[in-house]
Amino acid sequence: MNKQANKAKPVSFRYLFYDFVKLTAALPGLIWLRPKWIFESPAARKRIRGGCVVIANHAGFLDPVYVMFAIWYRRHRFVCDKLFFQGKKRWLFQGFRCIPVDRENFGMDSMRKITGELRGGSLVSIFPEGHISQEGEGGLASFKSGMVLMALQGKAPIVPVYCCQKPHVYSRLRIAIGEPINIMERYGSRPSLPQIEGIVEDLRAKEEELIALVNTKRRIKEK
Amino acid sequence: MELTRTEITERLREILLAADDRNRDVVAACTEDSRLVADLGFTSVSMLYMVIAIEEEFNIRFENVGVADFNTLGEVIDYIEAQLK
Repeated sequence: MNKQANKAKPVSFRYLFYDFVKLTAALPGLIWLRPKWIFESPAARKRIRGGCVVIANHAGFLDPVYVMFAIWYRRHRFVCDKLFFQGKKRWLFQGFRCIPVDRENFGMDSMRKITGELRGGSLVSIFPEGHISQEGEGGLASFKSGMVLMALQGKAPIVPVYCCQKPHVYSRLRIAIGEPINIMERYGSRPSLPQIEGIVEDLRAKEEELIALVNTKRRIKEK
Repeated sequence: MELTRTEITERLREILLAADDRNRDVVAACTEDSRLVADLGFTSVSMLYMVIAIEEEFNIRFENVGVADFNTLGEVIDYIEAQLK
């Protein structure tokens, strides 16, 4: 696990909007969503400290909110398409301190920005499917590999998170959190491209394990 | 550091082979006109991987460029050459 301290202060002007929304929306969100945290293992239960890449499934527009509930005690820096930073919605994404990236022509400036945040101890959240999945409930699209390079360059572990969509308005939000995966411990600081492809497949398999875990817990509850 | 284009090309070949040795023959036969995507089979991630490796190997920085800004190996060599000067 990454040992460096989080550079972000408990109270910061940069995060004024983020913290205001988080504080004011916490109680209504808890009442509405009634989140149920499911941990893969005791190691996954430990609080995440320092720089870390959080990966989650993307099935709907509310997923960033669900991910923020999943790891509620940290500020998230979401990686978003730069298109979200245009027009009237721009203030929202800037206020939430999202990191804009050009998906068509990813540049080293974006990479340096993300890895700088990770090395500085921030938590960077990414939806590795790259878009809202059309695979339906419990389905995952293929993962993009960029997150692995970001984690390697930022020397940060990857935490898989699965947020189960609420089937009904009155259903509880079920969130599964996996153990942090330290790629460098397994593959060194410069794995080859075939190894990176293997890591991406492993991460997708881990996400599927979390889906199965949530479904198993739900079936036990229903019996 | 003064490097000739041939030396830069050789180092690039080494980087490409270290990154992925599955297409050894294609990398060995590549020239400055080889297209990164069509001929060498690059994806956005392999481009990014190569850029990171080049930055470390040549001790340069890719500023304000995206991975899609390069079409051929020659263009990458041009950029490296310009940065080394």
